[in-house]
Amino acid sequence: MSHEQLKLELEHLPVRLLHALAKGRVQRHFRLGKRRLIEFFLSLPEDQINTIQLELQRILNVEQTRKELRHNLQAQRKTLKSLSLPTTSQFTRYPSDGKTSVSLTLEDVLEGIGIPEPTDFVPDSWQIEAVEHLAHSDVIVSAPTGSGKTYVAIEAIKQAMIANQTVIYTSPLKALSNTKFMEFSQIFGSQQVGILTGDRRDNAHAPLLIMTTEILRNLFYDAASGEIDLRLHTLGLVILDESQYLADPERGVVWEETIILCPGQARLLLLSASIGNPQELSQWLASIRPLPCHLIRHTKRSVPLRGLYLQANGPLVPLFQTQSITQGKGFTFHPDAKRLLSEYESKYLGRR
Amino acid sequence: MAPAIHPCELVEVLRRHHLTPAIIFLTSRRACDDALEAFTHEPPALSQERGETIRTFLETFSKDFPSIENHPLIPVVQAYGVAAHHAGHLPSWKIAIEELMRHGYLDAVFATTTLAAGVDFPARTVVVTQSSIRKSQDFTDLTISEIQQLAGRGGRRGKDLVGFVVITPSPYIDLHVLAKGLTGFPEPINSQFVVSYPMVLNLLKAHSLDQIEGLLAKSFAQFQLNQRAEIHQDNLDTIHSQLKPYGPRECADWITQWKVFDLARRRKSHRRPPMETDTPFVKACLPFLTPGRVVGVSKGRALILRQYRSRGTFTPMISVLKSKGTIGECHASSVTDVYDHIIEFQPLRGFPWVSPPTLTQLTQAITQLPARLPTVPILTQAPQTEETLLNDVLTDEFACPTCPSHPACKKDYAMASRLRIKSQQLEKTIQALKDGLWHQFQHKADILHKFGYLTSTYQLTQDGEWARLIRIDHSLLITELIRMDAFSGGAPELLAGVMASICHDDDRPGSYVRLSTGLSSMLSQVRTVADSLGAYESPPLLRADVAGLAEQWIGQPQSGWTALVRSTSMAEGDVYRLLARTLEFLSQLHGLRHTHPGLADSAHQAMEIMRREVLQELP
Ligand SMILES: Nc1ncnc2c1ncn2[C@@H]1O[C@H](COP(=O)(O)OP(=O)(O)O)[C@@H](O)[C@H]1O
Repeated sequence: MSHEQLKLELEHLPVRLLHALAKGRVQRHFRLGKRRLIEFFLSLPEDQINTIQLELQRILNVEQTRKELRHNLQAQRKTLKSLSLPTTSQFTRYPSDGKTSVSLTLEDVLEGIGIPEPTDFVPDSWQIEAVEHLAHSDVIVSAPTGSGKTYVAIEAIKQAMIANQTVIYTSPLKALSNTKFMEFSQIFGSQQVGILTGDRRDNAHAPLLIMTTEILRNLFYDAASGEIDLRLHTLGLVILDESQYLADPERGVVWEETIILCPGQARLLLLSASIGNPQELSQWLASIRPLPCHLIRHTKRSVPLRGLYLQANGPLVPLFQTQSITQGKGFTFHPDAKRLLSEYESKYLGRR
Repeated sequence: MAPAIHPCELVEVLRRHHLTPAIIFLTSRRACDDALEAFTHEPPALSQERGETIRTFLETFSKDFPSIENHPLIPVVQAYGVAAHHAGHLPSWKIAIEELMRHGYLDAVFATTTLAAGVDFPARTVVVTQSSIRKSQDFTDLTISEIQQLAGRGGRRGKDLVGFVVITPSPYIDLHVLAKGLTGFPEPINSQFVVSYPMVLNLLKAHSLDQIEGLLAKSFAQFQLNQRAEIHQDNLDTIHSQLKPYGPRECADWITQWKVFDLARRRKSHRRPPMETDTPFVKACLPFLTPGRVVGVSKGRALILRQYRSRGTFTPMISVLKSKGTIGECHASSVTDVYDHIIEFQPLRGFPWVSPPTLTQLTQAITQLPARLPTVPILTQAPQTEETLLNDVLTDEFACPTCPSHPACKKDYAMASRLRIKSQQLEKTIQALKDGLWHQFQHKADILHKFGYLTSTYQLTQDGEWARLIRIDHSLLITELIRMDAFSGGAPELLAGVMASICHDDDRPGSYVRLSTGLSSMLSQVRTVADSLGAYESPPLLRADVAGLAEQWIGQPQSGWTALVRSTSMAEGDVYRLLARTLEFLSQLHGLRHTHPGLADSAHQAMEIMRREVLQELP
């Protein structure tokens, strides 16, 4: 491979990978820009260039596989898992302990920004697991916002509808009820979806009913005293969205009442944002409900999150020393962010 | 005040780095509105084409939601691709913004942090400008869960390869709180179970007491309490095992025996405190013998100037001003009457205990006292029984000093008694954890019995039967008002006005709204009732201005939404929420149609009139 080719190839690489290549070869490589890095690589003696070429080949292979995998979503998760471990450790590892003096650049943090290529919808394994377990147990799903809990709800509703059961879906806020009402009406057809609020009933005989949790609790009160006006005997599934509201100082008690009073024949599906003690919740359910309770705890965000820092008249800089924000690993602020903040504080707030 | 970043600069930077669409969380509604306003001083940022897309979208949207037609913010949204989203807006407008965001038509939305939980739209980037929020008057740090709830909106699955959280400093920010929130694990959640009146009534309607005890035991609250109790139980078990070697000796319960012995011995060895010499009558009098009190002494009336104890014998003494104007000292025991009359004055440290001019005034005041003065009844307490018991014990033949295990007990007592006190405390704690909820229930049930909603055996009375259908906040106040017939014959708008002021618990400043004299007098009546119930249910704010708003909306069915909103300084969204909640409360009254047809009918009429324009757009 000629120098010219190598140069071209190197120029195609994102800086992140160039830095990975330079690690251990160039002192203080993080100070160098893309162009100077490439110049440096090319100025190396022939034998070192060869090893660089070998490594470059590996990097390209890995990148290639990743690309292919994106097209082949089905295989993606399994293979990436086994692949990404060695690759990240060899090439793209950033100091997570902050002891090394290597700093991320803004480009590193912004790298990969963009829109994914459209793919067929393939449910995650935890989503499938949740739906399957509903067949024979109550289910609690604790997953970060935006990871796809609604999919679980929709599939569960479909199953229950096929079995001719009534489904009740509750949300903590009227506004959310309205949004879900519109969303579900589009999916299941407006004939199939009803909504109950404090003062109104729309299509109350539909198989899928949306309401706030307070309304459901009131229905259970009435059912217990024999004043059933809804088909509670056909009730097959109760979905409590945003169940972390159980801990709301004022309204949390309503979630407990609803769960306690929920008829035994109906399955419970609790959808919750990430909480600290889902297993405790699940043990509780298991202890008071006729069926076992299956807990699905999904902690990984589906879209990686990265931190940035920006202040008035200042540059946009990375927030942390790591590219992505991960849970439970602690944090180290990026030196730039730290410096800017202390400037800001001493300038405006008189803090040191 | 330290400057936060200018909203236009912020959005510009985000655009430049392809970080849009973004949700920018700000501290207040005001901040969101100001941010939008700031854009209007800039040249339009969106291309004609994008502006057109937004316009078309909103046009279609307003077919379903006429209330957003001609919304004053439309031009800003169209020209700059930014919007505000907070509780001050109508729900329909918020839905429109959410939809625009979902379609990717907007670059940035300014939203309040408090609403993060109620927002159902994600973006590529979230911008966080604060680390604490106002919770009931105070600023508290955001919890890890709350921060992750905010950050969770960054990065849309299927639309973004990566999501971002941008932190910009402001005076409200502590970077460490945010960093911890972003990288930590969310807090565990805890039960917030409380027993409410409607809960008691509704449970008693359908279940026996035993069943209810079982239902309460099923709560997450009890589950968590039991877990705590278990920890205590483990401790208790350890202590019990430690107590084993201190088992029965000469006497079965030697620890108690020894305690009595020990106490008695100590009492005896101490010099009896001089207080003990006070007779019960004097003891009971003493609290009343304060400066300014008029008392009767052997030679007529006197005014107490100070109370003290004699140095030597420690007997209680008083300095008094006699009606002749002389100052004297006497034993507290020589007081014959304590009158229910006090003459206020400014006491001094040294003799004559008041300033000379006051002395003359006081002397006059004493001579001018009416001939008959009421006396303070003095209740003397019976001498304490425990003491006599102890004394008896000591004089009786008390086994301990002669007991063969005396030395062993003496050695072990300190440890053993400490352990036993601990074990008793733990037992109490465990019992309290196990019974807590049931006691709460009984307490509430007793109150309901007192008011006549329950019989003494916790059966629902006739009033209880219908009262259980009122399942909203301030239920006791509402049912009491109904029992007093407070609403009888009232026009629908009065009923709605009162319900509005009961249901509205927001203390944001409102504005003066004219309300009819009928409603005004009704409100003051409601306030009296609410205050009298204060011990059993915290009273609502009962704002007159919101009552007036509801009255206006129902009393003038021809007038429109715009006119209503213009008549108050409350935000549109707040007015909407007020009326929506009033509707909910009214519908509970409507539920009483079998027992209170007149009231239910009135509520129904009010509801029918209320549901117009914006108020019927959404279910
Ligand atoms: N398995 C999946 N693959 C790709 N996208 C998904 C998958 N599951 C869900 N999504 C998408 O993720 C987004 C967020 O889902 P949502 O159910 O609203 O999150 P949550 O309710 O957990 O906050 C939706 O746009 C949804 O279409």
